[in-house]
Amino acid sequence: MHKVLSDKRTILLLVLPGLLIYTFAILFPIILSVYLGMTDWSGIGRPNFIGLENFKKIIFTDTTFWKSLRNAILLALAYVFVQHPIALAFAILIDKVGGRAEKIFRTIFFIPCVIPVVVTSRMWVSLYDPQYGLINKILDFLRLGFLKQQWLGDMKTALISVIIICMWQGFGWALLIYYAGLKGIPEELYEAARIDGATGVKLYTKITVPLLKPVIKVNFTIAIIYALKQMETVYLTTNGGPGDASQFLANYLYIRAFNSYQYGYANAISVLFVIACLAVNILFQKIFKPENYEF
Amino acid sequence: MSKKALKVVVSIVVIAALIVSVFGLIQGNLTASASTKKTVKIKFLSNLPDRTSNQGKLEQMLIDSYMKANPNVKIEVEALQDEPYKQKFKVYVATNQMPDIFMVWGQPSFFLPVMKAGYAAEIKLDQIKGYGFKTSSLKDFMYNGKLYGLPRNTDFMVLYYNKGLFNKYKVKVPTTFNELLNAAKVFRKNGIAPIAINGKDKWILAILYQELVVKEGGDQKLIYDAISKKSVAKNQILLKAAKDLVNLVNVGGFQDAFVAADYGAANNLFAQEKAAMYYMGSWEVGMATNPNFSESFKKNVDVTYFPTITGGKGKKTDILAWHGGGYAVSASSKVKNEAMKLLLYMMHPTRWAKIGWQQGLVVPGQSWDKFMTGKETVLQKKLTQIFSSATSVSGTVWQDAFTPNFKTEAETLCQMLVAKAITPEKFLAKIEELAKLEVK
Repeated sequence: MHKVLSDKRTILLLVLPGLLIYTFAILFPIILSVYLGMTDWSGIGRPNFIGLENFKKIIFTDTTFWKSLRNAILLALAYVFVQHPIALAFAILIDKVGGRAEKIFRTIFFIPCVIPVVVTSRMWVSLYDPQYGLINKILDFLRLGFLKQQWLGDMKTALISVIIICMWQGFGWALLIYYAGLKGIPEELYEAARIDGATGVKLYTKITVPLLKPVIKVNFTIAIIYALKQMETVYLTTNGGPGDASQFLANYLYIRAFNSYQYGYANAISVLFVIACLAVNILFQKIFKPENYEF
Repeated sequence: MSKKALKVVVSIVVIAALIVSVFGLIQGNLTASASTKKTVKIKFLSNLPDRTSNQGKLEQMLIDSYMKANPNVKIEVEALQDEPYKQKFKVYVATNQMPDIFMVWGQPSFFLPVMKAGYAAEIKLDQIKGYGFKTSSLKDFMYNGKLYGLPRNTDFMVLYYNKGLFNKYKVKVPTTFNELLNAAKVFRKNGIAPIAINGKDKWILAILYQELVVKEGGDQKLIYDAISKKSVAKNQILLKAAKDLVNLVNVGGFQDAFVAADYGAANNLFAQEKAAMYYMGSWEVGMATNPNFSESFKKNVDVTYFPTITGGKGKKTDILAWHGGGYAVSASSKVKNEAMKLLLYMMHPTRWAKIGWQQGLVVPGQSWDKFMTGKETVLQKKLTQIFSSATSVSGTVWQDAFTPNFKTEAETLCQMLVAKAITPEKFLAKIEELAKLEVK
């Protein structure tokens, strides 16, 4: 058996199916995308090779591309600095509550994640509606009528309104991952710390947060990837509008490919999109160097 | 009988039974394959997902009647909303798996690349002799003198309004732009949305802008010429029209957050009698008979010309009209002849035009006056009168007259104008920049 498995031809034969799938399902489409990005193909007829023209145009003159990237980064920052601290705090609270209430709260917070994005997006469009929407109605009820807005229809509020929807939709996932991480920290550590005199917030800053660092890293990575590839919510609520105020990269790429008939250009955007994702990922890996905790 | 003889008899019987069953099987297969050979499957891609009212109902009725008349034909319909339709269509084109018969918009921004690339089958003019199509209606479905599609409707822009709301608040149905602004102010004061519009879809804003250009300048060609000559920024009529549009936004002429409202949302607002007016095309003629709308709405819905502008050169009878939606047959279809037969069956004047008109479902692309019965709805009568009184028509609207990217960018600029992200001057400068890039 060992003789057979150490035979190079046998190894190649066994690896071949996986290699073929990888080549045709991943490598080839990427190479094709790079090639199409160097053409002016409209999706109909034959593509013309134009070299790096599309890339130059995107980088130097396409303001919507940069705005879309900026919006995606803003969403990522909102996830990291707003959604996650709240999700962590709620995960700790739910963990503390215990018993049946713990299960109930866990389910309640996870509900938005199991409802299709189409449904939640439509729901938020209704909530934001300036005429019959609940948000303006509540502001009226609280005598805060001066805060009423045309949420999704105003240049100033469209982006933040979309970001709020995205954060709400993803809150349950963030909470669930932190919650699972919390459950993995042994209770003895807290008991030992308490014996040593640690109390209250100190327990969380000195034990919970450091031990959750790998979980935080995973959660942050997921959030950033989700922010960069945000598409459905934007498409279903504002479609990037008004103008390009709430435009995101994936949606912009889609508009270029399917509305403008600029398949080549859209492919060039997708290549730059992948590069941006990789750059963010590398940066992230540098910030969160691997650490090992033993307990 | 001896044992040997019995063996021989049994063997003969078994062999005979085997031979008979094998022959039977072969014959059965032959008959089956002969009958399957006759079955023709036609894939039909439509942009009318509502199969119970308006054009979707008519399309389904005709498909069903065709299948009834031709039991060997099976038509598979895939119906999607406009935007998903465009995307799915692109996927079919990119993968070279075109449906046998598909809906097309007869606009250069949509159909020209399809015709140029040879995806649509030619329709000989002899085949539609006596169908009642005017040559002008076929113009945008032709390339290099050959016809590749047939229009199903006559589309023109009008102002729908709710008689009940106008009477209740004692507002005059606007005939001038100033009256429209004043009417908007009254409805606003009373908590009614003046004009329902689907600003999220963008195209409607670009069409409304052209409406104002025509009413200001009185020249249907002006906007096309300015873009073709790339002299947009300094054109005073184009500037005035852009300012008119912003003015309409400033007085609260549209529902709140209209920029985020899609087609369904705007249509519902008007149908629920929460908006006094609705700027839309003649294809909404079915509102008067739609079973999903209330009786009160159906009683109150009416239609008029878009108002003229005091000081402007345009007349109320200068209307935006074109033949947008239609059908084409795939050039690479394996059942091209059958698909063509279906298209010609559907578009026969006694079907799409006659049935569609008499049931109040469409304003046909073919002449429909001979199908008038006197039992038409108010909308049908008024729309007929508006169209027949037209002194000039636009043809394909400006944003659809050039490249697909011109359309996308120009519509986004219109949305930015009404959202006040850019000034009218900047809007025109941007359109000029776009024209320089996109219009050869």
